[in-house]
Amino acid sequence: MAEEAKFCCLRCGAEFLLPYTPGVTEERTCPNCGSNSVRRKKDK
Amino acid sequence: MADVGRHPRIELLAYSEVDNVTGYVGNFTVTVRKKARYVDVAECTACGDCEDVCPVTAPDEFEIGLATRKAIYQPFPQAVPSAYVLNIDECLGNNPIACGKCLEACDKDCIDYDDEDELVDIEVGTILVCVGMDVYDPTTLDEFGYTRYENVITSLEFERLINSGGPTRGHLIRMTDREQPRTVAFIQCVGSRDASRGNPYCSNFCCMNTVKDCLLIKDHYPDVDIKVFYMDIRAFGKGFEDLFQRSKEAGTVYIRGIPGEIEEDPETKSLRLYVETTTEGGVNCHEVDMAVLSVGAVPKRDSDMIQRLLTLQRSQDGFFLEAHPKLKPVDAATQGIFFAGCAESPKDIKDSVTQASAAVGRANRLMMQGEVKVEAITSTVIPDLCKSCGICVKVCPYNAISCDTKAKTPAVVVEAACAGCGACSAECPFGAITMKHFTDSQIDAQIDAMLSDNPQDKVLAFACNWCSYSGADLAGTNRFQYPANVRLIRTMCSGRVDKRFVLRAFAMGAPIVLVSGCHFADCHYINAVHWTQRRVEKLWDELEKKGIRPERLQLEWISAAEGQKFATVMRAVEELRQKVTRDEIEHTRKVLADVLEPTGVVA
Amino acid sequence: MATREEGDEKLRVGVFVCQCGLNIAGTVDCEAVAEFAETLDDVAVVFNNRYTCSEPGQLEVKKAIQEHDLNRVVVASCSPLMHEPTFRAVLAEAGLNPYLLEMANLREHCSWVHMGEPDKATDKAKDLVKMAVARARRLRAQKEMVVPIRQKALVIGGGVAGIQASLDLADAGYQVYLVEKEPSIGGIMAQIDKTYPTMDCSI
Repeated sequence: MAEEAKFCCLRCGAEFLLPYTPGVTEERTCPNCGSNSVRRKKDK
Repeated sequence: MADVGRHPRIELLAYSEVDNVTGYVGNFTVTVRKKARYVDVAECTACGDCEDVCPVTAPDEFEIGLATRKAIYQPFPQAVPSAYVLNIDECLGNNPIACGKCLEACDKDCIDYDDEDELVDIEVGTILVCVGMDVYDPTTLDEFGYTRYENVITSLEFERLINSGGPTRGHLIRMTDREQPRTVAFIQCVGSRDASRGNPYCSNFCCMNTVKDCLLIKDHYPDVDIKVFYMDIRAFGKGFEDLFQRSKEAGTVYIRGIPGEIEEDPETKSLRLYVETTTEGGVNCHEVDMAVLSVGAVPKRDSDMIQRLLTLQRSQDGFFLEAHPKLKPVDAATQGIFFAGCAESPKDIKDSVTQASAAVGRANRLMMQGEVKVEAITSTVIPDLCKSCGICVKVCPYNAISCDTKAKTPAVVVEAACAGCGACSAECPFGAITMKHFTDSQIDAQIDAMLSDNPQDKVLAFACNWCSYSGADLAGTNRFQYPANVRLIRTMCSGRVDKRFVLRAFAMGAPIVLVSGCHFADCHYINAVHWTQRRVEKLWDELEKKGIRPERLQLEWISAAEGQKFATVMRAVEELRQKVTRDEIEHTRKVLADVLEPTGVVA
Repeated sequence: MATREEGDEKLRVGVFVCQCGLNIAGTVDCEAVAEFAETLDDVAVVFNNRYTCSEPGQLEVKKAIQEHDLNRVVVASCSPLMHEPTFRAVLAEAGLNPYLLEMANLREHCSWVHMGEPDKATDKAKDLVKMAVARARRLRAQKEMVVPIRQKALVIGGGVAGIQASLDLADAGYQVYLVEKEPSIGGIMAQIDKTYPTMDCSI
């Protein structure tokens, strides 16, 4: 299993876990609203 | 088919796959993997001696498992090239002590157990994508009991059963008792025209294929009763209606309604179809000896790979996307690449042949000129500003830039190799690369013009030429309505959208900026879109540090086929815009004021 | 005719607002857009056409370039993906470098998607024209690279479409490479018994 990280959606504000490998850019989609403005939360 | 094998100007690379593609219109270099066949095609006479002695039997793919073949076999009697092939995974001969019988039997010595894959490079001017389709697998449609009930078969399996060269020599039998069925049912639209249980689109050929099958049955077995269960019969082509009427006159009964369930009689193995029809009312039961599922088309399994290698686009149904649905129906968006057959959409033989000739006409139109003009949208290095850091070299998806970072000589762009995405220009930390026809100064001018009055009311959206801009066009042609506050700035690739452009827009008072580009799999510039994502991610951090809400910079991947998504995104960004306050905009203007100061860079 | 290059000459932008019948004019007030365009920097002349892409429309663009000595052209009509090649050719015929054209997409991106909001659509159309003129003022002539094209074609897939394409190309005189994944060409067509509408054999 790939590592997961916490992401948040910059459109609807939803927070969720998605697979994440440092240094790899991937297409990400918010499971709540379908937006691609998905940002990784770095503090935790 | 045989003409292809004989034609002096056709080199047939059978049992081969495209491994890699580089270059551009007129000058593609294609690496083809010739898979190990273990039989010398040139020497093999297809005498069949090897097959006779082979002890291994396996399901015959050509007969869809209705017959068996050996581990060394000819795919079908009329195969081109007319040569055998050895499936090494099934063969015992890899260990000659175990077998090696075919090797002994072959007079021509054309079997080689040590054969290996071979890579060959070919250089071509144009590419025609004719990868075809796969048939829909109805196993998942539990109500029809395909694979659970032996007497439920697919239309392609039926083709093999009725074919005089097929496993039954053309005798129509049912699987369970090998007896000729007295009643046959056809069920239409299996896997088609139903988004929840298969695919939403019409597969085009299945209606007429069933009409044809009914006529074939009635020709050979006039006493067999045929019932066709359908939603609509689409007999729209030349001569099609005539065939449809003939099949009715021959006694085929057409019943409007798709069975909801098939049940098997455990003793007779006959089938009971429960169906609600438009004519009879209520649920009725029809008992038949066998049922044929008229299965639709699905995109070819390895479309992903071809899409990636040729940087093509696909429509939402998964088939390849043409440059324009009416005006360029056989052109790919990439110059020099064309589509024919079911690769582009499900179609019958006549339409496939027509489209193939059309694609050849388009390819010929390009090639006969001997030379081709390439759009003058390429990157240019401004040597005085270049610090030879080498970042552009790393960014370029086409390896079109070279830079000696040790000798500190300015980077050099090979114009013929540059496809014009502009990622290098956007990533250059020194503003030392610009794009012809999409210069910084041109894009700055558009930003300024748009935001010079009432910026608070507007959303600035950057859209890439191939996907998002086309997606917006599609929203237009489909008349998908959305709020009028957005204005688009077109760049060839979202990778061109410099961080400076985004900051400039905010400094000019933009409440929301949207960067939109192709989905990663659709990127017209191999992987330039990765740089877009990385840049936006960095920008979110930078904005946050400056006290600007990162939500004001939106990122969306919108394909040329996603007009609906484009309209949805436009509604979403307008909602976000309404939440941006005037104070917020004023604060941003102050924080980013230095962005608007002239940098001395004139491009 | 020699193509003029840009130099120190004064910018003279011609703006052509297309009504596209009622496709644009049905929603956007094209006259107001044209009047607005006249106020923009360096705009020398503005036309309001019924169909700029039509033969008379193209002729008018050509004539205007020559009569008004235009050195930048903005066509405010449909998507550049549709008609940029058309108008680039018009510029070239009028002796202007084709890269001195800019288009504003008033149809796909405006009139067709804001049908219920004519005022807002007109405002947006004005902005789109303003942005196009701003960009046009900074356009430079470009020279297109001419590359040789190989007289060879690759056909991927040997089903009925690939077979037909290969034969047509080869008969037309081109060298063809036909790549087929399976051990034989033929594809699904070869598995089919008789084929409609002629009811003959597939192979």
